[in-house]
Amino acid sequence: MAVLEVQRLTKFYGSVPAITDVDLAVEQGEFFGLFGPNGAGKTTLLKVLTGQLAPTRGRARVLGIDVAERPMAVKEAVGIVPEVESPPSYLTSFEYLYFVCRVRKVPDANAKISRWLEFFDLGDVRGTICKDLSKGTRQKLMLAAAFIHEPKLLFLDEPFINLDPIYQRRLRDYLREYVDGGGTVLMCSHLLEIAEKLCDRVGILNAGHLIAQGALAQVRGGEKDLETAFLKLVEGKR
Amino acid sequence: MTFLLRLMLREEFRMHTSYTSPHMFLAFPALVGVLSFATAATANNFLGVTPLRDVLFLVHVSVFLYGVSVGAFGFLGRQYQERATGYRNYLVTQPSILPMSFKRTFLGMYLRDAVFYLALILVPMTIGLLASIPLNGFRVTSILFLFGAALLSFLAGMSLSFFMSTLYVRSAPAFAAVAAVVAVLFGAVGLSRSSGMSTIPAAALLPGLGVQYAVPPLGSLGLEAVWFTLAGAGLILVLLGGAVALVSDQYEPKSVHAKDDLPSIERRLSRFRSYGTLLAKELLDLKRSGTPVKMFFSFVTPLIFLSFTVWFVRNGLNLPIGFNTVFYAAMVGFFGISLYNWLNNVDNMDYMSTLPLSVPQVIRVKLLAYLFLTLGISAAFVIAISWMNGDTRLLWLALPVMVVTSLYSVVMTAYLTGLRTNSFLFDPGVLLAFSAMSMLPDVGLAVLSFTIDASPAFAIGGIALALGALALGTLILYQGIDRKWSRAAFGE
Repeated sequence: MAVLEVQRLTKFYGSVPAITDVDLAVEQGEFFGLFGPNGAGKTTLLKVLTGQLAPTRGRARVLGIDVAERPMAVKEAVGIVPEVESPPSYLTSFEYLYFVCRVRKVPDANAKISRWLEFFDLGDVRGTICKDLSKGTRQKLMLAAAFIHEPKLLFLDEPFINLDPIYQRRLRDYLREYVDGGGTVLMCSHLLEIAEKLCDRVGILNAGHLIAQGALAQVRGGEKDLETAFLKLVEGKR
Repeated sequence: MTFLLRLMLREEFRMHTSYTSPHMFLAFPALVGVLSFATAATANNFLGVTPLRDVLFLVHVSVFLYGVSVGAFGFLGRQYQERATGYRNYLVTQPSILPMSFKRTFLGMYLRDAVFYLALILVPMTIGLLASIPLNGFRVTSILFLFGAALLSFLAGMSLSFFMSTLYVRSAPAFAAVAAVVAVLFGAVGLSRSSGMSTIPAAALLPGLGVQYAVPPLGSLGLEAVWFTLAGAGLILVLLGGAVALVSDQYEPKSVHAKDDLPSIERRLSRFRSYGTLLAKELLDLKRSGTPVKMFFSFVTPLIFLSFTVWFVRNGLNLPIGFNTVFYAAMVGFFGISLYNWLNNVDNMDYMSTLPLSVPQVIRVKLLAYLFLTLGISAAFVIAISWMNGDTRLLWLALPVMVVTSLYSVVMTAYLTGLRTNSFLFDPGVLLAFSAMSMLPDVGLAVLSFTIDASPAFAIGGIALALGALALGTLILYQGIDRKWSRAAFGE
């Protein structure tokens, strides 16, 4: 069953095209990786798919919800980790997760907050206001905020950024477990080695166009790794 | 240092013009010059009711306070440092990554602020005074003496502020102790002056004022002027030297721990149902960010300016206009607009785009927070000013005027600018609509308030009609917020 269906999706910023005629489908239980050079349109695509930006034309359905018609319903249903780790400056770590639980009407909030504070070892900074946290800690908090309501679909924009190897490993294991349990992930990243270990299928976006998509082996072609295939595909278009 | 200073001045100019345009920004000193000219042109009128000595006292106190506000670097400095990881960055953050001394950069900032803010206000003010000479017969030398003495007061204020700011960064208790001493000294001067005995002359704390009193037209340019000039320069150097000495070359950010207050505040706001959580977060943000202090000053400053304008119209222009409590109430309502702007500048709202929240929802929460914060203060101001002017008879009308104009102003601003008031007010189309929608009712209510004594039935009827129209406008604009902003995105 497709949890994400995208047809000829296009987004312009004024007269500048950010993504053009993107077609994409992601099945339930799939780990889909989206790659591309800087400015390729990955973050824009993710923002349109999560109802943060309205598409200029084309159609996208997330968990059966039309993103243009019901963007709020999409945000209710999915978990989102944004490109920039930006929890509210003046709330403590605990308060931010509490705030997210209340906005998302998460039952049994305290237990869930404790679980995620523990998962990311955030107990020591539970009472620290977010503007005083390190970038890595802020990123952990954003991840916890995206996972806390146990969504069926996760949109992750550079989720591993600023995390040390211990937490990169912990996150990787969690995501693998999440997907094995029936969850779906769409992830944008520049970390191709991690992606290679996690993704079932990948797509490569270049200058707003999805220039390749398919199973990992299919996109890699005859190349020794994803990085070489990526460079060849992207450089070949320049 | 010259190179650094040049770059810093360029940076400051670009930062200011990024909020508006170079032309708009340069219009500001031109406006100051024109206002100064207009005030000086009527000097013969207001000098008839206020002695020159008192006028000069007011000028020096104002210039000193201006210097204090310009120099609040330490507090801003922390924000600058924290912004280094954000979207904006400034030259002052560079010593942390380049082989530059922070003390030297700090001194550069002092010089930059001195040059920049002198050019912005004191220089155009002096030019306005010089231009008024044909109308009032002021002497060029007197104006130049005024500029020199005012410069001392300005730099003394700036230096005190720089010193206190760096002291605050080093030690909050030491800051509190010195601030208490400074407050006691100024309090003693104030008390001594109001008692009419002047046992502690103001010039003892403001050497610029001492110079002013010792040079023409009030003094004879004797040894006293030299002594006060040296004392002023010495005070500035000691404060600045202390500030530079206190600057640390290694910036250590503070880590703030806080109690988990959000759940309890939210419980107290449960009557606001679905808005309770957001409103609780808004109020907590305000408390922890220290924004209410900035909001208070941005509310009080125009009120002080308004009081000055009223004084000037009465005593400077000798116009027989009956300023009453209703007039003040209308003005207070409209000044609240700046507070809504502050509410939108507390923090970055990007993260909200990842949650099932809409821009209109958050706008409504800001409006609620605005009502929470301002209605009480506005009512207190209106009551206080009516009591001070002996005009409490009109309070029954003034308070509804204040409430309705406050609501209308903030809802109109929210409708026009959403969550980005600062940016949208520099859009000429929005600015035009904003000006028309705020100034027309404001002027209408002001004019009606002036006619209360001459024609009470007409004035009260007109005001009731205007309030009805504003209330209806508020309702329509409030409902329009959903339509206008439902598809808007959070963040830049």
